[in-house]
Amino acid sequence: MAAPPVPPVPLVSRRRRLRVGDWLERAAVVVAALVILVAVVGPFVAPHDPYRVALDQSLQPPSAEHWFGTDADGRDVFSRVLAGARVTLLATFVVIAVATVIGVVLGTAAALGGRIVDEILMRICDIGLSFPAMILALGLAAAMGPSLESAVIALALTWWPGYARLVRTLVRETLHAEYVDAARSIGMSRWRLITRHVLPNSLDTLYVQITLDVAAVILVISGLSFVGVGAQPPSAEWGALVAAGRNNVVNGWWVVALPGAAIALTAIAFNLVGDRLRVRNDPTLGNGGKA
Amino acid sequence: MLRFIVRRLGLMALVLFGLAAIVFLMAQVVPGDPARTAAGRNATAEQVAQARERLGLDEPLLVQFGRHLSRLAHGDLGTSLFTSRPITADLADVLPASVELVLAAMLVNLLVAVPLGVISAARRGRAADLAARLIVMFGAAVPVFWLGLMLQYLLAAQWQVFPLTGRLSFGVSVPERTGMVTVDALLAGDLGAFSDALAHLVLPAVTLAAPFVAVVARTLRSTMISALDRDFVTLARAKGASEWRVVIRHGLRNALVPSSTIIGMQLGWMLSSTVLVESIFGRPGIGAYAVNAVLQNDLFAVVAVVLVIGVAFVIANFLVDLVHLWLDPQLRRAGV
Amino acid sequence: MTELLTVRDLRVDFDTPSGPVRVIDGLDLTVAPGERVALVGESGSGKSVTAQAILGLLPTARVTGSVRLDGQELVGASRRILRQVRGNRIGLVFQDPLSSLNPVMTIGRQVMEPLLIRGVRRAEARRRAIDLLARLGVRDAARRFDDYPHQFSGGMRQRVVIAIAVIAEPDLLIADEPTTALDVRIQAQVLSLLDEIAAERRMAVLLITHDLGIVAGFAQRVVVMYAGREVEQGPVDEIFGRARHPYTRGLLAAVPRIDERHQGRLPTIGGQVPTPAQRPDGCAFHPRCSSTVDACRSEVPLLLPRAAAHRVACHVATRHAEQVTEV
Repeated sequence: MAAPPVPPVPLVSRRRRLRVGDWLERAAVVVAALVILVAVVGPFVAPHDPYRVALDQSLQPPSAEHWFGTDADGRDVFSRVLAGARVTLLATFVVIAVATVIGVVLGTAAALGGRIVDEILMRICDIGLSFPAMILALGLAAAMGPSLESAVIALALTWWPGYARLVRTLVRETLHAEYVDAARSIGMSRWRLITRHVLPNSLDTLYVQITLDVAAVILVISGLSFVGVGAQPPSAEWGALVAAGRNNVVNGWWVVALPGAAIALTAIAFNLVGDRLRVRNDPTLGNGGKA
Repeated sequence: MLRFIVRRLGLMALVLFGLAAIVFLMAQVVPGDPARTAAGRNATAEQVAQARERLGLDEPLLVQFGRHLSRLAHGDLGTSLFTSRPITADLADVLPASVELVLAAMLVNLLVAVPLGVISAARRGRAADLAARLIVMFGAAVPVFWLGLMLQYLLAAQWQVFPLTGRLSFGVSVPERTGMVTVDALLAGDLGAFSDALAHLVLPAVTLAAPFVAVVARTLRSTMISALDRDFVTLARAKGASEWRVVIRHGLRNALVPSSTIIGMQLGWMLSSTVLVESIFGRPGIGAYAVNAVLQNDLFAVVAVVLVIGVAFVIANFLVDLVHLWLDPQLRRAGV
Repeated sequence: MTELLTVRDLRVDFDTPSGPVRVIDGLDLTVAPGERVALVGESGSGKSVTAQAILGLLPTARVTGSVRLDGQELVGASRRILRQVRGNRIGLVFQDPLSSLNPVMTIGRQVMEPLLIRGVRRAEARRRAIDLLARLGVRDAARRFDDYPHQFSGGMRQRVVIAIAVIAEPDLLIADEPTTALDVRIQAQVLSLLDEIAAERRMAVLLITHDLGIVAGFAQRVVVMYAGREVEQGPVDEIFGRARHPYTRGLLAAVPRIDERHQGRLPTIGGQVPTPAQRPDGCAFHPRCSSTVDACRSEVPLLLPRAAAHRVACHVATRHAEQVTEV
């Protein structure tokens, strides 16, 4: 705009803002919380044993007895989805936790370790970020022998460069903040400075990124299982559930459709929660109508 | 500009080297003894030792790595345990199908995402924007493999709008030139075969495109919104330009500069996502080859796929930089 | 005299999360064909919003009142009518020539655009654009036609922006701080260029500026705005010689003059323009005014005629005048 023509108050369209977005975000928080709850108590509330084979019950459509129907081996799909929440979410949690730890350590090291360390670590990050995590993880998991553990390790090893780079930027920014200068001036040790002041102040942004990554990791983990390098049968991991039903889609769409819907719903919920956190964390996005 | 390209080439070389190293290390962590595998199941200890020597496995790691690099430089990716053919030859057979799929998916991606992003930005905060954002929300969260199976079940199995699997219907064939059946059909002037190939391509391409549509539409929306807030857009309106002209010529043209980077990078990502899509639709591409290799425990083939997709990814990124250079006049003329 | 542009009781409100905010509050303004009018005020006084409101360029604001161009009502007019007016009958120049130009479009295309929109053939548009750029002092206009904005200097860019505004030969040019973003040396050049081109093409000009210093040699009439309201208007000699409103006087005192030697710094008005959301009751200027009476704090002063075509909105000035007449 030429000059500052408009008042410095944030402007909003005079048409009433659509409230659907707010409503969706609230629903997302509830769904995300519910998914986590299911991951914790799922196996206990499952109406049937998720692993019990009953060949005479094979491929029953959804009914009052079997809400999500049964799979080719007669197992209750609803119970398997409940049980699978724990497997998928735990795998996702481990991937992100490991990647975060590596990322925080190496990112901090890059920010504080001088030029050469920084240069080496960042070029490694460049290489890591230059490839789709999916394909690297596929190769690594295949090399380690297909299993959920392999997939989790492989994905954690390919996921950390993003965090390392983010933490490096955050730490560098915080290091230049005034209160850090103040702390330094009263003679606080370097280690104490980093653990007490620099890292805690970098974490808010990291949390937002982590929340936004949950959906992405769930999708990749279930994708690896679907392809066959992740969770192996009879695991109830969601991607493995979809894979198990793929040869019977025509006779039993529910075996594929409902576990897949669980993945999609969970991913949507975590994405929306992440967006909400991001807007909260960054006030400048508040009225931009972005995300 | 030259400096820019040189710097990019340098980074590309570095990344390729890193990739070669990763792939080499992958082969090192294989459980079991490759020499024993190579010598055969019933080999004597002596035969295994011979194989070890023949394969150079008794030499120091660094020497092995050097040999690995030189083999790669000569396009030698090893021999597939499953097909017993050179992996390079296998990949040459399967790549065209994947390239065809990726290009089709990119076309779908652009045809859907660009209008979605533009409408969303131009009608910010209104019903059309909300609808577009809901589509984006689902696109970003839907597992591709699931979407593929669902589309296949509904549109192919139930309603029979599209064929179930494969690249051509039974009995239809086209002379092979590029390996991409749609292109080959066109080159042969066979419109019937072309529409058949196209029908086979629709569902896989839509499936593969879905998550990318979400990313492009979202990026375009936010870059468009910031572009439309700029003075030259107001001034374009003040010239009497139609809203359409303002949004497309001034808004979209500017938003395309940052978005082009993401769109181009997606070519590489799409190639890696074929792993999830091709086997569903029975398309014999690099993704299906990789899945098969994984199932057959054919590690060298898996590693080769990782390498090839990685290289494709790096090349795609480099091309993106060149396109970016072309789109952004400021960058083009700066620092020649 | 039939007016070219007539603005009556223009009000502009923006919706904010904390309720509507009135940015322009009852502006009256006329511009006769070929006339030069200056709209003066500090930044934040609502001048630029006025320019955009006239052209209907504020899609998110509520604009009421009347803006007539040759009798044609523009407030609430259809998009089609507005498009015929924009560029064609009213040209617009913004303050910052860099942000006014599309960075990924060549200079030539941008200058031709108003003509191309109206169906002028490309070759013809190109010829006219090159002629105009040359007339505006862009050297090697034909060769530089396909250059991009970033290859032009600030002064050259502003010439391009002016070319865009006048190429379709509008009757009125609205120039919003056309020289503010420029080098002082270039300011005078660009201003005299505006002066010449307006004279040649018998265009009326509405010059929007915070700088009374550039007004004197350019405009015939001055309208002074403060916090979204008009506080004084009159012929340029009246305003410069017999300004009544304390705000106008303050602005005048802040103008460096060649004929006076100032000791030390130029006097400035203390404080700053209130935001529209926090506009004080009564006369919006009273917190910064040196001579206030009780009415200033409670009543909005009306714009009352002082002399021929000279009107002021100030309780003190009006009361003073009444006392003078009573004696």
